[in-house]
Amino acid sequence: MAEPAYTVASDGETTGEEKSSSSFPEIAIGVDIGTSQCSVAVWNGSQVELLKNTRNQKLMRSYVTFKDEIPSGGVSNQLSHEHELFSGAAIFNMKRLVGRVDTDPVVHASKNLPFLVQTLDIGVRPFIAALVNNVWRSTTPEEVLAIFLVELRVMAEVQLKRPIRNVVLSIPVSFSRFQLTRIQRACAMAGLHVLRLMPEPTAVALLYAQQQQQMIHDNMGSGSEKIALIFNMGAGYCDLAVTATAGGVAQIKALAGSATGGEDLLQNMMRHLLPDSENLFLGHGINEIKLMGLLRVATQDAIHKLSSQDNVQIDVDLGNGSRICKVVNREEFEEVNRNIFEKCESLIIQCLHDAKVEVDDLTDVIVVGGCSYIPKIRDLVKHVCKIEVYKGMNPLEAAVCGAALEGAVASGISDPFGSLDLLTIQATPLGIGIRANGNRFVPIIPRNTTMPARKELIFTTVNDNQTEVLIVVYEGETEKAEENHLLGYFKIMGIPPVPKGVPEINVCMDIDASNVLRVLAGVILPGSQQPAVPVMEVRMPTVDDGHGWCAEALHRSYGSTLDLVTVQKKI
Amino acid sequence: MISCGVPIYQFSVPKSSHIYGKFNPNKSNSRWGKKWTEIRCCNQRVGEKARAKKNYYELLGVSADSNPQEIKEAYRRLQKKYHPDIAGQEGHEYTLMLNEAYQVLIKDDLRRNYDASIGPIKVQFGNTVSGYSSWKGPLRPQALFVDGNACIGCRECVHHASNTFVMDEALGCARVRVQYGDDDQKIDVSVDSCPVNCIHWVDREELAVLEFLIQPQPKEGYGVYGGGWERPANVFVAAKAFSKQLKQQAEAEGQQRNGRVAVDEETPAQAEARANASMKIRMERFSRIWNNLKSFFGSNI
Repeated sequence: MAEPAYTVASDGETTGEEKSSSSFPEIAIGVDIGTSQCSVAVWNGSQVELLKNTRNQKLMRSYVTFKDEIPSGGVSNQLSHEHELFSGAAIFNMKRLVGRVDTDPVVHASKNLPFLVQTLDIGVRPFIAALVNNVWRSTTPEEVLAIFLVELRVMAEVQLKRPIRNVVLSIPVSFSRFQLTRIQRACAMAGLHVLRLMPEPTAVALLYAQQQQQMIHDNMGSGSEKIALIFNMGAGYCDLAVTATAGGVAQIKALAGSATGGEDLLQNMMRHLLPDSENLFLGHGINEIKLMGLLRVATQDAIHKLSSQDNVQIDVDLGNGSRICKVVNREEFEEVNRNIFEKCESLIIQCLHDAKVEVDDLTDVIVVGGCSYIPKIRDLVKHVCKIEVYKGMNPLEAAVCGAALEGAVASGISDPFGSLDLLTIQATPLGIGIRANGNRFVPIIPRNTTMPARKELIFTTVNDNQTEVLIVVYEGETEKAEENHLLGYFKIMGIPPVPKGVPEINVCMDIDASNVLRVLAGVILPGSQQPAVPVMEVRMPTVDDGHGWCAEALHRSYGSTLDLVTVQKKI
Repeated sequence: MISCGVPIYQFSVPKSSHIYGKFNPNKSNSRWGKKWTEIRCCNQRVGEKARAKKNYYELLGVSADSNPQEIKEAYRRLQKKYHPDIAGQEGHEYTLMLNEAYQVLIKDDLRRNYDASIGPIKVQFGNTVSGYSSWKGPLRPQALFVDGNACIGCRECVHHASNTFVMDEALGCARVRVQYGDDDQKIDVSVDSCPVNCIHWVDREELAVLEFLIQPQPKEGYGVYGGGWERPANVFVAAKAFSKQLKQQAEAEGQQRNGRVAVDEETPAQAEARANASMKIRMERFSRIWNNLKSFFGSNI
């Protein structure tokens, strides 16, 4: 293995990369596909390096335009003007839509994007289309992401002069496992294998762990445990983590997240500037799209400016005779988005509470992501945590750097200077359990359980001579089963006819370090050591599109005939 | 630039060999290599449930009176060796055990309950040796012990008190699995029924050492000579000597610990935990998740 790799290194004109390619050929790259921007980073043998595209950009816009037969994304494509993005042919914000059904409020909030997002409100995937030569050409979030990932891959392959196969992707905390499968599918379409999916703040936590480790080497820091809150808010999502760091190990104590981001700030602002904007855009005609685009650019620009100045002049001609000419100050912006900032604050409090960490225990608070430039965000984090914001990180590059570090660690790369002597101990962002006790969600692996995790619970039948039970697996936090994300379902058959409450139905869930969930279920009758029927092992999620309907259909067909209840575990 | 990318394709390694290859890099090679012989020796005992269920303190390689800080450090140190990110999929099972142990020991109330459940014996000897039998009901001053040297494997005791005694098929002698697993009458009958009187009532404090010593230990071999297994001819005499040795060792360790600042070296318990981990990992390769589930079911009954 080592020999051919060495030959390759000496063949190429590479000088700097020699070390990395000779030690190991397969270093996974770190990819951050953000709602608005994306980036790629890789461990180059001595440090993490962000890759640049041909226009020397480290951060590229996340969009795909369907202009001609061949779609092109923001990595390779050069926009002649910002407004080109709003001609109806460009699809973006796909990270907000991927793996969501059309009853999801996030999908509804995306309906005033300058392309077609059509919903039928019945729990199927939304219809998404780009306007190409006055034709709505349909596409899917996965397809858009895949086009994008292919461009990123090609860019990395050209620069690193080797094929890229393994990636570590950073993902939002609030993504359900179903959404993760969509991301994996997009990667597969792009010819990439997902080595790890890392919640964004945990990638930042790993980078923080490395920085702390570095400080010890430089005799600047102490080796004691440091507890940090990471607040990561981008265009699409707000994600938090509390991490305990010592000796290069980032132990995730708690995660919290929500689909709240800069996009919501933008939409609130657009509504503020043009109150009936939503109704105006319902028709999705060419003129409306253009109008939407103009308003969007102007509002976005204003929000960016409000981060550095107290007020901003908005002057936009919408083309249909109406013209918005207004001065907006920072207080107004903060008032319009009060609910968003309150949401952020409550997420911080919740995350600290879940981690059982007091504000006084915090060593650092790290604020990253595009929204970290907004003064109100920094103020509210400072206000809750009562300490100054950590300064040692580039807010837009932290997540991708962390993902690249994880890529190197999980690929088995070691560094002679100990810079890769790192580890993230992940926690589960959402609880996983099954439907039981009527229509309740009974978590088997609770939220914030250290991964890898394996937990089991014992259930029993509710009817006499019940020979079959239905195991319906959900992910989430809500007590009502159907309000959580459905992951899959299967039936255990052939239970010997005995009175209710007699069979022990053991449901075991196992999550490994690469976040693969397996559900095992077996039946034991008292007095026997062996399972009464063969044990079922199911890899989840198994549901596909239209999963909103499945649970309902199951309930309609079977009622409570195949139900389960929990039993107190015998000691 | 593209042209030089082509030859690399043929060198890309299949995934499976890539994973196993991780055990070869120079950083861990010597360690795994060295332990190999020990793992093979242990295999005979692997089947025993009592042995497989390790004391949480032993697993983390900390003493029973260690503070949360020490537990945290030990946990992180072991995670850095065995987490699947570093050790590959083979580390999965061991990391699960580590997580379980850590979660119990780091929380005061859970740890108190756990300490109570394992009883004072484990706490006393937990650091270096541990007993094999568990206790049913409250701890009593006297405990049962089978002298494996004398036992002829007649199964009389197993027959009379099946919840207390088990037959160790590998060694061909009986062993106490659960102290007071049956009612007193049954136990008395079984003790009396032994044709060679090899079942002894011993002090609770002595039990752990006796049970430890009666397990055959691998004997050092020289080439093709020697090797195999051995255990002390008179376990009671050996136990006395061993206890004395333990005491001295503990004293010496105490002095040593006071003397040095950084505790970088592994404690014997950690070394043992590690040896057991590698054994466990090797085991997992064969048995996988299915068998684990079986053992879960077994333990719940």
